[in-house]
Amino acid sequence: MDNYPALIVVAPLLAALFAGIAAWIEERLSYPIAVIGLAISTFSAIMTLMTVIASGTIHYRMAGWAPPMGIEYRIDLLNAMVLLLVSGIAFLNLIASYKSVEQETSDRAGSFYTIYLLFVTGLLGVTATGDLFNLYVLIEITSLTSYAMVALGDKDRGPLASLNYVFIGVIGASFYLLGVGYLYLITGSLNMMDVAGILPALKGSSTVLVAFILCMIGVWIKMALFPMHVWLPNAYSYSPVAFARMVAPLMTKVMVYVMIRLMVTVFGFEYIFETLNIADAVVWLATLAILAGGVMALAQKNLKKMLTYIIVCEIGYMVGGAWMGNQLGMTGAILHILNDAIMTFALFLAVGNMVYKLKKVDLTDLKGLFGKMPWTMTGFVLAAFSIIGVPPTCGFFSKWYLILGALEKGAYHFAAALIISSLICAVLFFKVFEICFFEPMSEGHGHGESHSQVAIEEAPISMLIITGFVSLSLIVVGLYSGTIVNTIILPFLK
Amino acid sequence: MRVLAFIIVCLTGALLLYGTGEFPDWGDPQSPASVHLSNVYIEKALEQTQVPNLVTAVLADYRGFDTMFETAVVFCAGLACFLLLRDFREKKERYYRHTPTGVILHVKDSKKIIKVGKEFAHMDKNWVPSDLIIKSVCRILIPFIQIYALYVVAHGDFSPGGGFQGGVIFGSSLILLAISYDLKTLVRRIKEKVLGIWAAVGVLIYVGIAAICMPMGGNFLDYSVLAPLVWDPHHVRALGMLGVEIGVGIAVTAVMAIIYINIVSEGRHEEGL
Repeated sequence: MDNYPALIVVAPLLAALFAGIAAWIEERLSYPIAVIGLAISTFSAIMTLMTVIASGTIHYRMAGWAPPMGIEYRIDLLNAMVLLLVSGIAFLNLIASYKSVEQETSDRAGSFYTIYLLFVTGLLGVTATGDLFNLYVLIEITSLTSYAMVALGDKDRGPLASLNYVFIGVIGASFYLLGVGYLYLITGSLNMMDVAGILPALKGSSTVLVAFILCMIGVWIKMALFPMHVWLPNAYSYSPVAFARMVAPLMTKVMVYVMIRLMVTVFGFEYIFETLNIADAVVWLATLAILAGGVMALAQKNLKKMLTYIIVCEIGYMVGGAWMGNQLGMTGAILHILNDAIMTFALFLAVGNMVYKLKKVDLTDLKGLFGKMPWTMTGFVLAAFSIIGVPPTCGFFSKWYLILGALEKGAYHFAAALIISSLICAVLFFKVFEICFFEPMSEGHGHGESHSQVAIEEAPISMLIITGFVSLSLIVVGLYSGTIVNTIILPFLK
Repeated sequence: MRVLAFIIVCLTGALLLYGTGEFPDWGDPQSPASVHLSNVYIEKALEQTQVPNLVTAVLADYRGFDTMFETAVVFCAGLACFLLLRDFREKKERYYRHTPTGVILHVKDSKKIIKVGKEFAHMDKNWVPSDLIIKSVCRILIPFIQIYALYVVAHGDFSPGGGFQGGVIFGSSLILLAISYDLKTLVRRIKEKVLGIWAAVGVLIYVGIAAICMPMGGNFLDYSVLAPLVWDPHHVRALGMLGVEIGVGIAVTAVMAIIYINIVSEGRHEEGL
């Protein structure tokens, strides 16, 4: 069947609409509909990735019109990988979410799943499309749904966090749209490949320069690159757990993908690194992002907040790697999209399990957690090791490429920041481990027993299985890093 | 902080102005936007799609995939409004009007429910005595507005119009009903459940028509493969566009009403503007 590229995006959209109708008639049906939709989407993504590896880039013409006239899905190795990542994480998270949705938003679960699916549709569409304006429309869907989700979270602080997110998010999207408008004005086209073909002739144009800057600032705001990150920590930590677990690993990573797509496919390395002279400045900005993210994470007293600042720090890694201007740096950045998504997902899954049992996760609430939730904590430790960069977890390998890239370019400040931030993460996570392992459980949790015999109170089995699966995949992906680089990333960059 | 913001605004403005330096002249027929794609649309659209209105052809066919997601955006907006604002809690205080005498009752106990019928009517707290002229004029006007809305949807292929515009016009007729009578009248006429389902069904019509093309052997949204299903195969693309426009119209109408009702009544659907 040749329609897999369309099915990846359309299956969750159709499922969203059916779930939305079911929400009014028989709300219990919404969940199975959502699961079926994402299962089809994930399956299509696997098939698409296999086709792309076997026989090269897929061009799928929407409505059958040839590219510059109509909208085209152009799926090469990079977005095939990201598509599988997004649909897979969304699917696994949905399975883990049944219980937490029941706990948090049971009175409007049907609408919750509808919004959830629309959000996934948006992310998948952003990744699959080969059209600059279509990308904007899908960004709109992801943004709108995530504003709603964040506001649905924490009763007191969710709405304010969402409002801040709306303001900054709208500015980011407008910047991108304005950039696309400038590009259309000067090239007359919206198709990425078509624009890429026209741009080399317009190398010195000030309009192209401004379009490039606007697009970049737009996606930087959306991916929360320091100092444009202020919306992220509150938005992510006050949203419902079932949503936070998906938005934290995926949203920013998809925006990094958009940045790399614009750099590699639309504007081209030659334009960015030879005509323009801003790569050094951006690498410095990324360095600052890494350090600032790490330092702010150190200052947090709540586990969720702490993790959101680590995301800010990780964004710095990927932006820096992509702007290094050499193959090693770009390889590191792309590999880190994959790895960071999986390890952030693993971390948030573990945190989701904790929230399910403890309700709130200030660091002081975590005392004695190794005894109470041993499986969750095992997953948490693995994910933390991966963030720190301990081999053979996957986090180590992408950092390795990033450092090599930085050394090849002579960006020693970036390499130093990477190592410092790894140390900061080590300090952070060992602080958490210490609280969880050594400090006795606070009064009222221990059922009157001494802390060595704490009763095990784990999260539901559906959540545990997913946590275990994702944590183990950290090691598997780590061990197969070489294969991923050789079959996906290097052929893409050639 | 304010100074910093001011500097950033100035810098952005300067950047935008700098970018305009190489803009093509206003209305220049030789500008890239006019010679690269637009001329292809102008020359080929009628022949390829059988739709005389170029804008509709680009919107619902060449770039129909964008429009599908724009409809989904509208649906998201309505759903988000419902999700965030809808408040299912019972209201504590209620007001009733004794119709024959005009006496107003203020019931503070939420369990004590007066049966609404010939004798008693619900009343909004900020109720204004209903104005006969406004009511009568709106009652006459609303059907015409709705017929016009249907015309705008149905005639989108040939003249300016289409699902979004028609949907907004139809939605505003519903809002006019709520304003000229009261919110209860609207909520009683069209149940919340109906609106919620129609909003999704509208988008589903669009996505459904687009998705049926895949098992029929075409790409997603490729109306031409639907020819065996319609009575006029020569105009299959135009009919496909009409179908999706109807879907858009339904979705937009329902979402307009959902947003209005939820915002004016603070999510309680009882009283409001």
